[in-house]
Amino acid sequence: MTNELVDFTLVSVALLCIGIYGLAVKRNALRMLFAVEIVINAANLNLVAFARFVPDSGGQTLALFSIAVAAAEVAVGLGLIIVAYRMYRDVDVAKFRTLRG
Amino acid sequence: MVDVFSTPIVVMMILGAVGMALPVINVLRREQGSNTFYAAIAFGALAAAIAFVLHQLAMGYVSATDVLSGDVIADDMLGSFFAIAMLIVAVFTTISSFSYMRGKKYPAVYYSLILLSTIGMVMVAYSNDLVVLFVAWELMSIPTYVLVGFNKRDPASNEAAIKYFMFGALASAVIIYAISIAYGLTGTTDIGGVIAGLGAIDASLVPLALLSGGLFIAGFGFKMGLVPFHMWLPDTYEGSPPPVAALLAAGTKKAGFAAAIRIVVIGMAALSIDWSLALAIIAVMTMTVGNVAAIMQKSISRMLAYSSIGHAGYILIGLAVAPYSASALPGTLLHVLNHAVMKGAAFVAIAGLVVALAATHIEKLRGLGRRMPITAIGITVSLLALAGVPPLNGFWSKLVLFGAAIDAGQEVFWGPWLAIAGVLNSALSLAYYGWIIRKMYFEDEAKAPRVHEPRAVVAVMLFSIAFIVGLGVYPEPAIEFARSAAPLVGIMP
Repeated sequence: MTNELVDFTLVSVALLCIGIYGLAVKRNALRMLFAVEIVINAANLNLVAFARFVPDSGGQTLALFSIAVAAAEVAVGLGLIIVAYRMYRDVDVAKFRTLRG
Repeated sequence: MVDVFSTPIVVMMILGAVGMALPVINVLRREQGSNTFYAAIAFGALAAAIAFVLHQLAMGYVSATDVLSGDVIADDMLGSFFAIAMLIVAVFTTISSFSYMRGKKYPAVYYSLILLSTIGMVMVAYSNDLVVLFVAWELMSIPTYVLVGFNKRDPASNEAAIKYFMFGALASAVIIYAISIAYGLTGTTDIGGVIAGLGAIDASLVPLALLSGGLFIAGFGFKMGLVPFHMWLPDTYEGSPPPVAALLAAGTKKAGFAAAIRIVVIGMAALSIDWSLALAIIAVMTMTVGNVAAIMQKSISRMLAYSSIGHAGYILIGLAVAPYSASALPGTLLHVLNHAVMKGAAFVAIAGLVVALAATHIEKLRGLGRRMPITAIGITVSLLALAGVPPLNGFWSKLVLFGAAIDAGQEVFWGPWLAIAGVLNSALSLAYYGWIIRKMYFEDEAKAPRVHEPRAVVAVMLFSIAFIVGLGVYPEPAIEFARSAAPLVGIMP
């Protein structure tokens, strides 16, 4: 039983690392959006797996909230990326360089 | 249990009802509608919310701060303190938008998003459960992504929004990951339960608890603008509409501190692990990077963005020494309130500059003391207060914060060094603030004509000058309020 939990946690940590790697390395706005989604889903996996092993269903509730909120977040993010695409004809964040220090 | 007529619920109902009604009104009227009309409605809602929070405080209906109460939403002093600071900032943003948004498209959506984001900030401050905290955090963040990119024909605004969105979304993802680990370790999402549970976990699981705490700090740190999570901040503040920059710098940033006080500081005491040194190092890095980078800026909004990073460092001093000094958290709260007003006023002044002169470059500020006298006085007073010049309010909150750091020196050797770093940084910041003031008053060769100052900006300037000087001359009530709102943290042996 406990070993299963370790499996779930390992997958979730792997997803977290993949997501952060994706954000750090990729310069395509859509890929970065996917990377953020992967991190959120790593957390969701954690929540649902833990909710199975602790005497409390709050984790599943939070996972549902988190899925809904992440959908709203992606909608806003895609909107911003579409606006950027109309202006630059590209979704490469390295090309968005109006603001310099 | 939470009463239906408790402060957070009523504030949420007022702002939520009006915030969701605004777009509906827009549709029913079958026209773009005048900016003033929607701004007035939003202003009315925010004023009602502030009046209600103050009324609850005055009548003594608000309970003392108690993180362990087990309520989902805590109607306590800590939440009310932050709520007042955030609502003041939202009012600043709304009033300055009276002139900034004039003639721009979609005013109803704009004010609706401001109100919804304000609900999020206020609920973060009141939340006492990780589920509520996360949902409120997202409610606060998502509208601001749209607000930052609101000038959608402007490449700078869009770029600012995309950078802000990427980092903000990562911050939310990291926070939900931290929540998931804390939940897995303790089996509850109640903050009090999590803190109690973390104190009793098996020694082999302590690294996971540390990971969770670290992710919480990272997630909140993105919004607070702590180094090394600050890369998005200058670009975002510079590119976004200045009233929205005021909301970000003075509002959402403070929500990060509210959440950090509830979770990190109190959890730190419960785990009985010393994170203070790590926070202290981040604090010194944050204020140094912010202030040094601010010197080199040519745009006043970018300079204020870096100065805002510096101030996150000062506020973090209070969190770092909280276990060692009883005056640390009151100092933190006081500086949060003061910084909200000072920085809010400064960004509103920039909104006035953008409306009247269409410029934020520092060279364009020449002779501003004659061209826009009230805005110039407002900028001067808020900059001097940011630098901590007595007798303005920023002086007192820095005094309490640095005093707490020296006080902590009895327990930890690095306490006084934090205070020294803070004082040196304040001196450094006076240099670049003084440079702006010199440009405004003592460099006026061009004799450019006097320009009309937007009335809304003048109103905010007058209010904030009164607030800054008032609390500077007579700081006792604010210090008392901060002291009563600060949670007691177990003083470490």
